Amino acid sequence: MNRFFQLIALLVLYCVGLAQAQQTIDITKGIEDRGIPIAIAPFGGGAPEDIAGIIAANLKRTGQFVPRPSGAPADYAVAGQARPGGSRGWVVQFQLTGAQGAQGAPLLNLSFDVPPNQLRPVAQRISDLIYEKITGQRGLAGTRIAFVGRGGGFWFLVIADADGRNSQIILRSTQPIMSPTWSPDGRRLAYVSFEGRRSQIVVQDVYTSARRTVSAAPGINGAPSWSPDGRRLAFALSKDGNPEIYALDLATQALVRLTNNSAIDTEPVWMPDGGIVFTSDRGGTPQLYRIGPGGGAAQRLTFQGDYNARPAVSPDGRHIAMMHRRGGRFHIAVLDLATRQLRVLTPGGTDESPSFAPNGAMIVYSTGQRLAAVSVDGAVKQDFAIRGSARDPAWGPIGR
Amino acid sequence: MQKCIRTLIAAALLALLFGCAATGENTEDQTGLQPDATAQPESAGQPGQEVYSYPYGQAPTGYESYDFYDTTGGAVAAVQPGAAPGAAGAGAVSADRVVYFDYDSAQIRADSRPVLEANARAMVGNPKIITQLEGHTDERGSSEYNIGLGERRANSVRQFMIAMGVSPQQIRVVSYGKERPAAFGSDERSYALNRRVEIVY
Repeated sequence: MNRFFQLIALLVLYCVGLAQAQQTIDITKGIEDRGIPIAIAPFGGGAPEDIAGIIAANLKRTGQFVPRPSGAPADYAVAGQARPGGSRGWVVQFQLTGAQGAQGAPLLNLSFDVPPNQLRPVAQRISDLIYEKITGQRGLAGTRIAFVGRGGGFWFLVIADADGRNSQIILRSTQPIMSPTWSPDGRRLAYVSFEGRRSQIVVQDVYTSARRTVSAAPGINGAPSWSPDGRRLAFALSKDGNPEIYALDLATQALVRLTNNSAIDTEPVWMPDGGIVFTSDRGGTPQLYRIGPGGGAAQRLTFQGDYNARPAVSPDGRHIAMMHRRGGRFHIAVLDLATRQLRVLTPGGTDESPSFAPNGAMIVYSTGQRLAAVSVDGAVKQDFAIRGSARDPAWGPIGR
Repeated sequence: MQKCIRTLIAAALLALLFGCAATGENTEDQTGLQPDATAQPESAGQPGQEVYSYPYGQAPTGYESYDFYDTTGGAVAAVQPGAAPGAAGAGAVSADRVVYFDYDSAQIRADSRPVLEANARAMVGNPKIITQLEGHTDERGSSEYNIGLGERRANSVRQFMIAMGVSPQQIRVVSYGKERPAAFGSDERSYALNRRVEIVY
């Protein structure tokens, strides 16, 4: 009996040792009421949009602010109005003041002349100006997300504001649409289309709807990713027998093969230095690997969990987000390339397709049916106002 | 009609471009106004005013909202140019045209051999028959990795048929990965029905 307990004790010690060796942090709880209190007064003047409400919602969603009603104690205060007038129909004015209140000089004091249909965009802009003034980080309220919707026998390529509102269908097809990704200038989307019952990679201008098929090789044409300078697309082709990573120069049409392996190599994403991180099952299970700008020997990046795929690189190149499976559940996890620490960010289930926000603060992903976002430290969670199904999100760049 | 829409979009974009200047107020108050690093000065401003533009107004326009789209019915008749007509989901495929696979495997199972042999014989007997082998996976894992897995399965079937004497010219391969499930549940039974290759004539 004693020996039995000794054995149990040894096993427990062994398991504790394993857990420590994995160096993984699980953050699945949100933090309530964390953030900077900011008082936001209703905007008078009778505008058809609730500008103060939009600003409050945007700031709250960042997880870094706690909006309060006007008059409540707060570190910052926003007051403004939107009234008919000016050269374009509406004049929107606002002031951001600090702790000294009206006695101190305003931190921001701006006026916008806008047509009526620009009241919501101007509210997004004001949200970002306030966020940037106080945090020093770029705001996301004016950014867009793209995703793939599905229903009624159709696949939809959709773009929406960063909160999921103002959704617009930019392509509808009776065949699957996959893996949309924004060009660095935010004008174009590259994606996979199965129109004609074969895969191809299409680049579409979201302003003009102009479409161009950039790859329709025999077999797989998958997982496009823009180079940081927007001149090249990396993607997976199986024209030579099995999926390999290629890079296409969009101007010259020069196609360079970057991997050579009998395994599945797919889901390439560019690092800021021109290197590429991709998914491969060359080691038996899907894991992430890294190659240099010209290809060459692949370095394995992930060692925990039995399935790591669909990488996304943070804008500063320091973190890789991914789908990470442990215990049969798919989570979104993030790898710190400097410390090699893997952090699991979501409770897990069928989480997939992570994409970094352009300021690096949030990661949008799909739960299989809906979109959600989580901060890189796991503390902040965000939902999106999207009614239909949504998968394969891609967070667009910050506008010029 | 298309021309008309294009003109409308162009007009809307122009209107937005000219409609989006924002002007700084209290420009004498230096602490009150920090020019935004992203702002592009526009020539349209009044002399002496700090002029801001913001790109957020330059939204793509002229598209239908996904919010109001009826995803339950066939309300929309139009199909995007180039999109081939076809079944939206995986329709019911007769049992003599589909073979199933084990999890994470592209091995031809013993119970698949009669189906594959019957199809291969038909194709050898009639070289005019062209088939498309459509590989599929269950819903677990990443979409694009599953595209690779589905192709592996379709290629296993292709190799089997070629070994039976079918000409490679008679066979096309496409992988849909997990995009076109035959069963929509998230359970072992649905997974097993979705790990398949359909032989489409």
